[in-house]
Amino acid sequence: MKKNLKLTDFSKDGDTQLTEINIDELIPLAPPYDKIEELPGFKRLTEDQRERLVCNLDGVVSSVLLKPKNKEEEKRYVEQFVSGLKKLLSRENNWTFLQPLLLSIDYCAQCQTCCDACPIYLASGKNDLYRPTYRSEIFRRLINKYVKPGGKLRAKLNRGDIELNWTTITRLYELSYRCNLCRRCAQSCPMGVDNALITRELRKLFSQELGWAPKELHEKGTVLQLEVGSPTGLKPHVAKDNFEFLDEDFTEATGIEVSTPWDKEGADILLIHSAGDIVSFPEGPISFSILCNAAGISWTLSSEVPGYDGVNYGVFYDDVQLAKVAIRHAQIAKKLKVKKIVMGECGHQHKAFMTVADRMLTGDLNIPRESVMTFLENLVFSGKIEFDPSKNDFPVTLHDPCNIVRNLGIVEPQRRILRYLCPQFREMTPHGVDNYCCGGGGGLSVMSDVNFTDWKVYVAGRMKFKQVLNAFGDQPGPEVKKYICAPCLNCKLQFRDILEYYGAREKSGIIYGGLAELIVNAMVDIKKPFIKWGER
Amino acid sequence: MSGIVWHIFAFGAIGIFLIVITYRTLAIIRLPVHLRWELAPIPHEKGKGRYGGSYLEEYEWWNKPQHRSRIAPIIYMAKEIFLMRGIWEHHRALWPLTFAFHMGIYLIVGMLLLQVVSAVFIITEVPLSVLNVFLGIASVLALVGYLLGSLGAIGLILKRALDSNLRPFNTISKYFNLLFLGAVFISGGYAWLHSGDLASEMSFFIKRLITLDAGVTVTFPLSLHVVISLLFILYLPWTNMIHFIAKYFTYHEIRWNDTPQDEKMEKELRGLLAQPVSWSATHVKADGKKNWVDITTEKMSDEKES
Repeated sequence: MKKNLKLTDFSKDGDTQLTEINIDELIPLAPPYDKIEELPGFKRLTEDQRERLVCNLDGVVSSVLLKPKNKEEEKRYVEQFVSGLKKLLSRENNWTFLQPLLLSIDYCAQCQTCCDACPIYLASGKNDLYRPTYRSEIFRRLINKYVKPGGKLRAKLNRGDIELNWTTITRLYELSYRCNLCRRCAQSCPMGVDNALITRELRKLFSQELGWAPKELHEKGTVLQLEVGSPTGLKPHVAKDNFEFLDEDFTEATGIEVSTPWDKEGADILLIHSAGDIVSFPEGPISFSILCNAAGISWTLSSEVPGYDGVNYGVFYDDVQLAKVAIRHAQIAKKLKVKKIVMGECGHQHKAFMTVADRMLTGDLNIPRESVMTFLENLVFSGKIEFDPSKNDFPVTLHDPCNIVRNLGIVEPQRRILRYLCPQFREMTPHGVDNYCCGGGGGLSVMSDVNFTDWKVYVAGRMKFKQVLNAFGDQPGPEVKKYICAPCLNCKLQFRDILEYYGAREKSGIIYGGLAELIVNAMVDIKKPFIKWGER
Repeated sequence: MSGIVWHIFAFGAIGIFLIVITYRTLAIIRLPVHLRWELAPIPHEKGKGRYGGSYLEEYEWWNKPQHRSRIAPIIYMAKEIFLMRGIWEHHRALWPLTFAFHMGIYLIVGMLLLQVVSAVFIITEVPLSVLNVFLGIASVLALVGYLLGSLGAIGLILKRALDSNLRPFNTISKYFNLLFLGAVFISGGYAWLHSGDLASEMSFFIKRLITLDAGVTVTFPLSLHVVISLLFILYLPWTNMIHFIAKYFTYHEIRWNDTPQDEKMEKELRGLLAQPVSWSATHVKADGKKNWVDITTEKMSDEKES
């Protein structure tokens, strides 16, 4: 296994694995998480998997690709890749990101300044494969060679020519899912080059031209969402039934009437939750029902496909799917004649719908869209609900979802709420727009094929877990219950995996949850504690 | 080199430089409007840019006036351009060399501008005392600029060659660019040392170019420096060293472009959405004729049934 990777290694040695994750090379964690022997081992690929699947990168498979049947099939895919490169640089097929892509391809100074900003590269113990620049430079050289005039000659003269073959494209495909698209690298680049964007464009080429995308994002993601309503598989009537059950359940648990309005035409607000919250973290959506009703807000949910699920995995890998989902959401809001749409606690929903799709929603589809953070801040400080902050008197730290904070600049509203309602609120270091990704960004949190969860927990989420432990470093033991406020479904899914994996609830008393739950927990009218410490 | 050749060479190089730079800048400007991809911090957000906040932090932001600072982005870019803030914050080990290198360039450009002004002063017979001040400053800028630039260029070549963090990403053209610019600085330093008063010599040379005086004569060290510099000016616009232009767009048009869609933009967007799509993956359902609107608004099977 090569220790110092050259760029030219990437296209060599066919099925051979390029590098390997060694646990003892990763950045160390604080006790009691420093004892590797006490942690579940990293799941290695079986002989059968190695036989059947393409696994020539780092011993991890995030997205199953079967080995090609013959050389012709390999060749066909390579040709399709070249065709995709050309489309990526065409106005017709890629007006959506042509300018950002070209500038990032053409003007990198190769100063490597971005590397130390990348949590994956740092956590991995600086494995060359995970440099933000490694995949980008290979992609750049392929574009320069195969799309630009005189590219092949210049590639020969310029040293470091990358051969394009089946090995190169399959490794590139897999490597495009070793990035959280968190854009910390872009933030640190003096040129304004964006390696996360390059990674997304690479994913897009594979999806839109070759039809390659992780099944959790595509078949069971956007396709399922557009067909039945949600990547969770939740159909409209099931979503409504679930909510009715939850309304009853929480009415009983909290002692106050909980009801959730559906399809109310002419309501002021269409609230779009992530259906994953309804399924996995129902106290989140129910908190909104409690808060909106208590504040007397005119609001509704939609039961139309896919209006009850705000996720839009297209933002991670495919412009067409991104546009389809965003347009459907806007059409539903238009039909309901609402005054505005409020995002649920979901980071990529914010980014996809509030900004990225802004220039896809023309005419009367351009309905005002508001962040859940400003919505909740307005609600908390409206004076319509009485709060008792002493009910939240336990250590709370805030995880900043990259898509809400670094990408949209929504930093302070959630902090003003926490400073008001949580006496023991403390920041992580770094935080705000400089935060580290949870490790589940870029769609990774919902991907769990083969042994990918191990990589997400061991490598991608490591910097974040280290940050969490530091934030609670003054009270590390399990006797003090601590809360990570993660106002994003995907971040919560990643925290679920991390905390379960390391046993952090038992060892350190750390649980995770959303922002709305903390607000409801502090309501004077809620007599019993709303946050259930034993369940997360 | 005879006088007329100097004129053709100098004005030709500058002319080609300007034409190619303009062409490449226009090529970037003419790229279609893209989807929003902003990145905090955005300094023009008045009162919020400091911590990375944006207008989206306002409740019902579309009903609120946007307060944009004109000065904050200028200060931000000035620190980035002149102090290399990004490298200072994120790659400190590289900063001394890259700072010296870039500062060398800025000082030489500043010196050149002073030389042009001095040449105009000579033509217009401005009092000698004023001219001497300009030439004195130009002389200091030249010396410091050549020294810093040479140090930076040699240092960066060595760092690129020896640093395992940078070495895998080197190409022949990266080394060539540094060597070429290094040659500009070193030849300038040689001319400065050789000449008793390089600033005056250069100003008179520029004056003769401006006045189309065919009797242009220069010493060998200065002519070597001028030839290398003009060749570099010819070469520069074809390379990615014009990142000083690209940087405007990566910051202002992408990172800091948080402009919501408006009527003018909508018109352009409608044109873009009417373009045909030819991506091959089956889920796209493109045939080279259907446009973006067609493929993104096509109903799914379940929707059609319902």
